Amino acid sequence: MAVVEVQQLRKVYHRDSQEITVLDGIDLTVPEGEFVALMGPSGSGKTTLLNLVAGIDRPTSGRVTVAGTDLAALSESALARWRSRTIGFIFQFYNLIPVLTAVENVELPLLLANLTRKERRERALTALRVVGLADRSGHYPRQLSGGQEQRVAIARAIVTDPKVLVADEPTGDLDARSAEEILALMEALNRDFRKTIVMVTHDPRASQRAHTQKHLDKGVLTA
Amino acid sequence: MRYLPYILKHLRRSWIRTTSTVLAMSVCIFLFCTLRTFVEAVTWNLKSASATRLVTRHAVSLVFLLPIAYKERIAAVPGVRSVAMVNWFGGSRRPNDFTDFFPNLAVEAEPYLAMHPEFLLSEDQTRAFLADLRGCIVGRRTAERFGWRIGDTFQLESFIPYYRVGHPFEFVVRGIFDTDLARFPGTDTTAMFFHFKYLHEATGERIGVGTFVIEIADPDRAPAVSRAVDALFENSDAQTKTETEAAFRASFVSMAGNLALLLNSIAFAVTFTILLVTANTMSMAVRERRTEIAVLKTLGFPSSLVMGLILAESAFLGLLGGGVGVLLGREMIRALPDLPFIGDAVRGFPNLGLSPTIAFLGLGTSVALGLMAGLVPALLAYRARITDMLRQV
Repeated sequence: MAVVEVQQLRKVYHRDSQEITVLDGIDLTVPEGEFVALMGPSGSGKTTLLNLVAGIDRPTSGRVTVAGTDLAALSESALARWRSRTIGFIFQFYNLIPVLTAVENVELPLLLANLTRKERRERALTALRVVGLADRSGHYPRQLSGGQEQRVAIARAIVTDPKVLVADEPTGDLDARSAEEILALMEALNRDFRKTIVMVTHDPRASQRAHTQKHLDKGVLTA
Repeated sequence: MRYLPYILKHLRRSWIRTTSTVLAMSVCIFLFCTLRTFVEAVTWNLKSASATRLVTRHAVSLVFLLPIAYKERIAAVPGVRSVAMVNWFGGSRRPNDFTDFFPNLAVEAEPYLAMHPEFLLSEDQTRAFLADLRGCIVGRRTAERFGWRIGDTFQLESFIPYYRVGHPFEFVVRGIFDTDLARFPGTDTTAMFFHFKYLHEATGERIGVGTFVIEIADPDRAPAVSRAVDALFENSDAQTKTETEAAFRASFVSMAGNLALLLNSIAFAVTFTILLVTANTMSMAVRERRTEIAVLKTLGFPSSLVMGLILAESAFLGLLGGGVGVLLGREMIRALPDLPFIGDAVRGFPNLGLSPTIAFLGLGTSVALGLMAGLVPALLAYRARITDMLRQV
């Protein structure tokens, strides 16, 4: 069963009078439990495609269906609610909130759920345990290494138990050893928790961890 | 409430900026409260003016006295119920030392008390006062201030040349009056009244009358009665000016009217400046957090919630500043009477203190300032697209 279905997707940006086509008629299907790597050179449209699948951007034309929901049919506020339940987003630069501790960062998406403070804290600690950082729950991002920060970001992405994880260059800012740890963690999430993962990368080693590699070039899927 | 720790953590993020903004806001609210209290104190006495009382004085200036003989002629004017002579004595306990100044007036006691129901005095005390030429009645606040009790004696000496007789006047406290502020708002209980006759006799029966207080039967006839009284003395050496008690008091504070405008203008200018300072703080705070706002939206925080968080943070900043400002204002107003120079000027104001109304107004202003300062950054955050904010990092 397909969790992500993209049909004839186009995204066009306008810069002054110039029209820039970033995605041009993309068709993509990602089955449930799949680990897909989107590869391609800079400017090929990988991140734009990821943003459209994650529902943080709107296409110019075409259709994106994720977990059975046609994203075009949702208003901005409904789309926000949908994202909080369905998508876990992992950024290249972690994007943790510096004034919050690791556990508070992980708790952040749960503020939108109808949970007590105690329940939120328990779930956040469970997520930190999954990524192996329960002992650093009280640390601030500045007190963590890059790899640890990314693991906290992954805990934040999985704490709401989303169907789909989207990751934009999750190892792009890490040294080789930390990158390996993060990829192993993502593999485990895919294997043990059946999370469908769509990952943008141009690191061949990272893409090898995925089940499927898709290549984008100039806004077109080539393979 | 679940977002409160998040808001507080952000305020602590740049504590120097937060502290300086809170201090700036508190100075603004402190000034607002102090100035508003001062204006209220200056105009407070107007509230107790009665619609059934008129005041007749010398047409040129209060400095000049009117003949005592005017009383009978005024009393004969149709519509006049009674007339009382009143002279501002201007006495102080030590000659030319106004540090413990309080209003003291020589009055024609019987008619004066009859037309001033706001001064609540027991029958025994009234009788004792009327029976003693050196007797006086003192307002509760002044009696408490000097620890005076019934039967105590004290001396006052006036700075007005007419009333300087080479020695102080001696008085015996025969009554201490209260008031009911619910029924008679604005009534002053700092004043002291003594017999006009005592003053008149002690000065060799040479003095005239500062003002005639006239009680009229019908407040609607106040203009007609005023005109009739003034017409009586139109061709005399000492022409009169008769007006309602409210107008008479307002003429005292007409200078304060300009003062009120000046003080309000200062308060407005300061408030506007602080609005700009706080708006700048919030803009910087939000600009620094563009990525964070993008992350919140990506995690599923609706734009309205993100906007609400920024506004709440801004309002909280205002509330903090307002709270500190109100406390500072309260302490400053308490300390004012003890300050050199300023203390002499404000000590005569009855009920000088930060009222709950002004305190709440100050707090409301600070929260409103905070909200206004945060409005533009909050709107920008509301409208910003996630992808744009992430791209600009």
